[in-house]
Amino acid sequence: MRTLRMLWIGTIMQVKMSSRGTFEIATAMIMPIVQATVAVYLLRAADSPHRMIEAAVGAGLMGVWSTVLFGSGGAIQRQRFMGTLEMLMLAPRNPAGTILPITIATGLTGTYAMIATLGWGWLVYGIRPEFAHPWLFLAAVPACVLGLGMFGLLLASTFVLMRNANALCNTLEYPIWLLSGMLVPITVLPAWTGPLADILPTTWGARAVHEATSGGAVWPAIAWCLGISVACFALGALSMTYVERRARTAATLALA
Amino acid sequence: MRLLTIGGVISYRALFNWATPAMFIGTLLVGPVFQLLFFAYLGRQLGVADDGFYIVGNAVLAASALCLFGGSMAVLNERRFGTLGHVLLSPRSRTLTWIGRALPYAGNGLLVAAFTLVMGKLLLGLPIPAGAWPGLAATLASAALACAAFGLVLGAFALRFRDAWLINNTTVTLMVLFSGTNVPRESLPGWMQAAGNFIPVTHAASAARSLVHGASFGSVAPRIGQELLIGAAYAVLAGVLLKVFEAESRRRASLDTL
Repeated sequence: MRTLRMLWIGTIMQVKMSSRGTFEIATAMIMPIVQATVAVYLLRAADSPHRMIEAAVGAGLMGVWSTVLFGSGGAIQRQRFMGTLEMLMLAPRNPAGTILPITIATGLTGTYAMIATLGWGWLVYGIRPEFAHPWLFLAAVPACVLGLGMFGLLLASTFVLMRNANALCNTLEYPIWLLSGMLVPITVLPAWTGPLADILPTTWGARAVHEATSGGAVWPAIAWCLGISVACFALGALSMTYVERRARTAATLALA
Repeated sequence: MRLLTIGGVISYRALFNWATPAMFIGTLLVGPVFQLLFFAYLGRQLGVADDGFYIVGNAVLAASALCLFGGSMAVLNERRFGTLGHVLLSPRSRTLTWIGRALPYAGNGLLVAAFTLVMGKLLLGLPIPAGAWPGLAATLASAALACAAFGLVLGAFALRFRDAWLINNTTVTLMVLFSGTNVPRESLPGWMQAAGNFIPVTHAASAARSLVHGASFGSVAPRIGQELLIGAAYAVLAGVLLKVFEAESRRRASLDTL
């Protein structure tokens, strides 16, 4: 119960903090809206207007991933910069438990992107947010966000060892959009990318949201997304514990 | 000339955050290739255009992100590192100082665009006539120069506004839409097509596509000229904005305010 309380309060606090940043909010909303607009005009050019809602949802998912990628990838560095990393690591809790709220909060902030693209699509292009399974859509999005948050923990723990985590963040944006089938169906990719896509929680999270939008089996995708995310959390927790010990031993916790 | 060339190179080395090998390879070389693949597969799935459309478009576009962010860093990082006051106190020509800063980014942009084009050709198999390469080099160079000048305009805004990165990110993303590099321009509304005529990359991408389809250099030269003209216009605008914002920053005593 105490752990759940810590996660809840930590997440709420982090969401409040990131909700005050104009840069974060604008980035989470403007980029996906432009991506959604690109997708809308491409679909119009392809004479596939019936797929507009998929474009809006897909662009929203891309925005969620970007927010998680850059938010989680820079989570540790940001705590260092603010001088709060030592306090987090000194807390008598597992270090993964203290960082997880930050990464889940990035996923929650990323849902601004989904709201923005759906709202933009409806207001500007008349794309009505009609989902094949509306209630399952409301289940699929939080599952996707939770999954991405746990994946974010793995990223955060891995990136802390790298001096150039930003470079990896910049590099990973498009490949995950592509491999996870957020806007481009995985079926058009070369067959060898299939196994890579299957081990990503983003693939199953995106599939759950798309199935809820256009019709299909949502629960198996949610189950896979959460299952892989738990594995990401376990790996991230192990990695975070190792990194924390190493940084304390070498007295480099506060050093970038 | 020394101020223009050596000064530009020194400022590039000092101020460009992405010059480290990891950032250069990850952000400037690998990133654009994945962007190209993303749009090429999206295009294949929708059947809007062939691979060549996306390969050439994204190769030209690859120069823009580097030049836009680089131009911004050339001004913004001076303030961040606390050296902006020293630069502005220098008795040398301000115009030469800033233009010199844009040139290394243009060269770098040309390199990145060429790399993206070659990778696109190798990965997706785009046939490019051997005779088209010199024209393509000139086209990519014109796009890189225009983007570098546009980057200086954004850099000028960095003197005035705190959220310069937000302006850069938004501009780069909007260029994907307005330039017609990934969406055929004829499918865009009229006002977007009109706006696209006044930004870098649009005319260069159109010229490069024609060259790949076998057009002669002479037939695309007017479009390359338009691209260079747009670049020159942005260079003048950057000069004016830098002067105006500098004066305002002095008046408001906000020159070094982050």
